[in-house]
Amino acid sequence: MSLLEVKGLKKIYKTRFGGHAVEALKNVNFSVDEGEYVAIMGESGSGKTTLLNILAALDKPTAGTVLLDGKDFSKLKEASVAAFRRDNLGFVFQDFSLLDTFTLEDNIYLPLVLSGNSYEKMHKRLEPIAEQLGIDRLLKKYPYEVSGGEKQRAAVARALITNPRIILADEPTGALDSKATDELLRLFSRINEAGQTILMVTHSAKAASHASRVLFIKDGEVFHQIYRADSSCEKMYQKIVDTLSLLTGGGAE
Amino acid sequence: MKKAFVPKLAFEGIRKNRRMYLPYLLTWILMAAMFYIICYLAQPSVLEAIGRGGSTQVLLQFGTYVVALFAVIFLFYTNSFLLRRRKKEFGLYNILGMDKRGISRVYLWETQLIAVVSLILGLLAGIALSKLAELALSKLISGIATFTFTISWRAVLYTAVLFAGIFVLISASGLVQVRRLSPMQLLRSESYGEKAPKANWVLGLLGVAVLVLAYYFSVTIKNPVSALALFFVAVLLVIAATYLIFIAGSVLLCKILQKRKRYYYKKEHFVSVSSMAYRMKRNGAGLASICILLTMVLVMIASTTCLYFGAEDSLRTQYPNDFIVEAIDNDTGVTVLPENVEVYRAALTKLLTDEGVEAKNNSDYYYFGVAGLLHGTTLQAETSFVDTDTYDALTNVYILPVQDYERMSNKQVTVAPGQALVWGKQTQKLPKELTIGPVHFDLIPTEEAAIISSGSMIQGFANLYLVVDDYDTVTQTIQAYYMEKTGEILEQKWRFAFDTDLSSEEQLALYDKLSQTFIDALAQQNADGFGYRCEALEAQREDFYGTYGGFFFLGILLSMVFLIAAVLIIYYKQISEGYEDQSRFDIMQRVGMTKKDIRKSINSQMLTVFFLPIGMAVLHLVFAFPMLRKLLLLFGLLNTKLLILTTGVSVLICAVFYAIVYRITSNAYYSIVSGAKE
Repeated sequence: MSLLEVKGLKKIYKTRFGGHAVEALKNVNFSVDEGEYVAIMGESGSGKTTLLNILAALDKPTAGTVLLDGKDFSKLKEASVAAFRRDNLGFVFQDFSLLDTFTLEDNIYLPLVLSGNSYEKMHKRLEPIAEQLGIDRLLKKYPYEVSGGEKQRAAVARALITNPRIILADEPTGALDSKATDELLRLFSRINEAGQTILMVTHSAKAASHASRVLFIKDGEVFHQIYRADSSCEKMYQKIVDTLSLLTGGGAE
Repeated sequence: MKKAFVPKLAFEGIRKNRRMYLPYLLTWILMAAMFYIICYLAQPSVLEAIGRGGSTQVLLQFGTYVVALFAVIFLFYTNSFLLRRRKKEFGLYNILGMDKRGISRVYLWETQLIAVVSLILGLLAGIALSKLAELALSKLISGIATFTFTISWRAVLYTAVLFAGIFVLISASGLVQVRRLSPMQLLRSESYGEKAPKANWVLGLLGVAVLVLAYYFSVTIKNPVSALALFFVAVLLVIAATYLIFIAGSVLLCKILQKRKRYYYKKEHFVSVSSMAYRMKRNGAGLASICILLTMVLVMIASTTCLYFGAEDSLRTQYPNDFIVEAIDNDTGVTVLPENVEVYRAALTKLLTDEGVEAKNNSDYYYFGVAGLLHGTTLQAETSFVDTDTYDALTNVYILPVQDYERMSNKQVTVAPGQALVWGKQTQKLPKELTIGPVHFDLIPTEEAAIISSGSMIQGFANLYLVVDDYDTVTQTIQAYYMEKTGEILEQKWRFAFDTDLSSEEQLALYDKLSQTFIDALAQQNADGFGYRCEALEAQREDFYGTYGGFFFLGILLSMVFLIAAVLIIYYKQISEGYEDQSRFDIMQRVGMTKKDIRKSINSQMLTVFFLPIGMAVLHLVFAFPMLRKLLLLFGLLNTKLLILTTGVSVLICAVFYAIVYRITSNAYYSIVSGAKE
């Protein structure tokens, strides 16, 4: 059984007075296996963000189901959704979403504090992660005192510390320079090699080229997917670029 | 730019920010209404219609200045909150191509709109409520209730001028800030946390030291005169100390809480403690302001209600009998001739019989009063100036003939020459002997003759009552001594005091007749030099309530103004923090925080922070208590129990009110931070 299964997902946004309806997702189907590193690509307005919001349980689908470990979480209540999100999902956002009122350390602890863990336990969990991500010396600093790459690494640490079933990353390299981007992608690959399932939404071909599989979304549907198999990052990158030009070319017809 | 564009933009700006603007508008309206009302009431014509003037008018006049000053400070302060929030929008206009002049015009329109609307509404509300306020005042100072409705154009003019002035002040400061505006600075959100001040503990210790000093002043205060002098010093010290302690204290508290990992890493505390730490200085200053306003309200309410409800007490202390008649001989000033007294006494008895009035608790005696500074057992002839140092030593000595004492107390006593029976009022310890110039007494403590009234003798000073055998010799010796020492003529007096069962109106009627009787008696006697003084408690009551009721009314009015201010500070603190925290709670909800967690976190903040100001205010009040008690002595109020009661009740009412307001504003905060998502 796959870890994440998305079946017939549909999302229609209505304007406030119910007049004009926009179909963001038409019919999305795909699944993610344990230990996979999947990238979802698509142009602006293709429905990527809507899809990620539904996967993150921040939004509810109009139709269709999302199963994690065979469990449909779109039916959960608000309080249990929050707990579900904390325990099973880890998030990495484009804007890092770190709280400037907290030190990096406290930012990383946030989901664990919300689930009611003791400081000792949290600290024990943080140590190896901080070392792995190379932020062990920055823990006492505030977000506004460190660089973008360091902030994103802290955000990754926050996603990892709950031992989530899956990490959802929304344009994680969007706000980073090329050096920090490379570092972060290497980090993702390393985490993935250690067995962590990652689902990343991006429109950077470079970011996607590190994934083991890339899904392309267009007009609210999965349009195409390519597997990495044994090809190198460079080859993967080429394949992605080709598909993208096909995608936009198709749009121009 | 199109003509209608600027007003429209201004109007939209207000409408969109109504959560910020509505309370601001309400404050303007309330302040304008309040100012109109107090201006209206302070007019001599209004007070005359009620049947009062004098002291009440002076009080209300003072009240207008306080309200005006406070309105300026406070509206200026709330405006700064608004401006901070609007700056971002103005920055955006600037980026989109509107020049500074355009922005200034939008801003001016906004302020103008607020000022005009609130002035009109405020005046309307003020006029509508002025009659109610007048009736309330009339009731409190037991005046006459009139039912004609008038609008005072003078009060309207004053209000308009004051608020136009405030408008000019506020717009000027706003325009200066718009001019300085740099769009990038404005658009970038303030994402830097506050750093703890370097010498935080020094500030904190300084605050504690200043506070201890202020408290020390209050607790060790000896007498009312120094209380009056030190009161304002103590108030300033307490204000300074409160700011220092709250700022340094909130920084320290945050640090301690963050260090206590067991406490800090709990989901109820985690978020609230960290956001407190993030803006610890601003937080501290806000809480200090709330604390000071609450303290002012508490002190005012506690003391003025005590004065008002203790008015009857003070009246009784100063006028132990319903009626007091006193006679002196203006010609000599030295002795009151018994034959003249006999004329008065006869006239008085005749009047009472004619009127069918039964006089009770009569006291009828000659006496003679000496004031001086009591050092050890010697009374120094020095009465010209009373200051802080001499106040405690100041003593009034009243000397009575033994015959009068025996008659009134129905007791036979023997007083040897050189001896005196003594009792005291408001004295710490009765001296064993007393020397007044050439005269020396061995004092024998005795029971107070209950029927002897202390009359309108000055309260708050020590009073000694001496009963002597050779009354005439003693008085003459002391009179001669004082004449030589100070050039002062000490008058001998005859006093007759009594109570009746009459109603208030009947007492006033009798009072009029009493005066007339003496005028007639005086004419008969053809003794020009003979003077008299009649006093009736009922006649004094008016004046008492005029003053004390006026204080009470002013206390309530000013407390309302200060409470509104405190409420608004709480509200703006919550709202502006809510907007700041919005994005943070948004992130936290994404990471897995539930709405219930948000509630809990807000409640935790409420418990740790928001009850500090009221706690501190109560502490201030407790330490202000000795000083208040002494100050109230100046008003002849000796009832400490009543003061404790009114203090307790004011604290209770304030606490309940505060809790309600806090609940409401924390709901506003909640709806801002949780409404951001979902």
